[in-house]
Amino acid sequence: MNELIPLMVIVPLIAALLISAFSKFNKVTKIFAFVVAICLPLIPLLSNYGLHYFGGYEPILDNVTSFVYHPAITYSFTFLQQIFIAMIGLLTFLVIFVYLTKYKEVSGPYLFLLFLGTAAVTAMLLTDDIFHMFVFFEILALAQVGIVAASSIDYSYEMALKYMILGSIGSPIMLLGIGFLLALTGSVNVTDIATAVHNGLVDATSPVFLTSLGLIFFGWLYASGLPPFHTIKSGIYSKAEPHGAALLQSFTVISMISIVLIMHRIYSTLPIFEVLIVFFSILAMILGVSMALTQTDFRRMIGFLAVGELGFIGLGIGLGTNYAITAGLFQALNEIIITALLFIGFGAIVNATNEVDTRKLGGLLAYHPKVSLMLLIAGLAMAGVPPLSGFQSKLMLVQASLNCGFPEISILAIMVSIATFVVFVKTFYVMFLRPKPKELEVEGKEVPRAMIFAMGILLILVIGLGLFPDVVVNGISSFVGGIL
Amino acid sequence: MKLYDQIFDVVKQFKKLFSPGPVTNADVSGSITAEIFLIVSLVLSAILLRHVNVLLAGLVTFILAIVLISNIPLIPKFKIEQEDSLEKMIFYAVVTLSIIVVFMYWGGNLV
Repeated sequence: MNELIPLMVIVPLIAALLISAFSKFNKVTKIFAFVVAICLPLIPLLSNYGLHYFGGYEPILDNVTSFVYHPAITYSFTFLQQIFIAMIGLLTFLVIFVYLTKYKEVSGPYLFLLFLGTAAVTAMLLTDDIFHMFVFFEILALAQVGIVAASSIDYSYEMALKYMILGSIGSPIMLLGIGFLLALTGSVNVTDIATAVHNGLVDATSPVFLTSLGLIFFGWLYASGLPPFHTIKSGIYSKAEPHGAALLQSFTVISMISIVLIMHRIYSTLPIFEVLIVFFSILAMILGVSMALTQTDFRRMIGFLAVGELGFIGLGIGLGTNYAITAGLFQALNEIIITALLFIGFGAIVNATNEVDTRKLGGLLAYHPKVSLMLLIAGLAMAGVPPLSGFQSKLMLVQASLNCGFPEISILAIMVSIATFVVFVKTFYVMFLRPKPKELEVEGKEVPRAMIFAMGILLILVIGLGLFPDVVVNGISSFVGGIL
Repeated sequence: MKLYDQIFDVVKQFKKLFSPGPVTNADVSGSITAEIFLIVSLVLSAILLRHVNVLLAGLVTFILAIVLISNIPLIPKFKIEQEDSLEKMIFYAVVTLSIIVVFMYWGGNLV
């Protein structure tokens, strides 16, 4: 059913608008949000692979050049889009479920932002039009600012404002780069631009083309939270509600891979493109993990670790081989799941203790054994401990960098994994194993069941993908073979 | 002895890193791990320059190792540069943009 392809964007978009308009009817809003959230992961699973041309404008064959041109905004739906959109749908469902059960009176604008963000990342994944991608990238940035500002955590407004100000640098720069590409090729369709570049219609070494790469690349750094934007990215994660942060990090990962895949199709002929990605990825890994090691606020610690993990994804894509890109995309899928699990799990601890400083916590294993066990497994998965999903993707990345002739990168990747392991051992000890400080009050404060349920679902995925990685790796590999 | 004293002094300086608030063993051990991790990973990354020129890689790695080790503790300095100050964030964003664009525009022969 190819008709379902545009519905993946339209359904959350319409739901966002309706919920915002009718939010004063609390019960109806709750039921409607819940039903739509259930539909989100189901639509991509029921849809057939294929293309959707908006307005019904089919591609046109130019008889002179024999090139095919795309006059309409085109959505392309393959296995990669299916697996990522289904995952983002599932995560949206879990986050909305946690939110609906947490508050008696729900906020229409907050639900609006959650659905709007989901619609935006879905469109970014599906679209074959670089300007269309930019529009949804902007919508996503605003939704992210709103999700952070709407949280009840101290200084969340300030952090949201900072993110918006930095966005006002990153986004126009990216738009300028897209404008340069439009000026050079006369099109905003990615397939058309790639065809023009790969068939020599555009001089790949011209300063304008190279500058367009630099500008779009800078916008991508902002979208992905790679250095120099790693500080603000980890900051917004720590200032959002835990379930909001779980969704925010998935938005970041999806926007990162959707933009980089578009850039890869256009600029893959330039070796400097891969060098740039590898450079910033390594920087993110080093800075992210070293900063995580020194944090005392565990939400900030997870934020920095999430940034460090983004480096692994970039590394896979920067190495540029089929195996490496597959590993990078598999790592992206794993990071979405694992980091969401960690944010929700640590959010449960905040819920039970009202404390985020690890120096003031301790002895929580006795009070919350289920949460602590699930967090431990999630931490081990992020560190790349077998047989969990993080291990599979990181092993693939280490093998890929060895195959590409970069043993230094393999060693670095292993070192980052070990440092991540140290972060979790340290945090797990101070929060759960050491004696409880006298001042800490944890009696009678239960973790919401919805949070345990959400963590359980994500944990099953972490273990399942660790034991059976081929379920997704084969499909991703086929997709990558198609774009290379 | 000088290097030993310097390393010992690092632990003392970590106290400032966690102020206000108590400094636990776990915090100090985490910071020392971060310090070692930072030095080793940056030196290791510099070895990647061997794909450009082996001599350059050797030289840069050697100099970088000396500069990093003689400037410990690095983590407090890194942490100050990566705090939530909007000025610093914008500064590094503009510096990065400038480097990328200058390198891409005038570095046509390098690509």
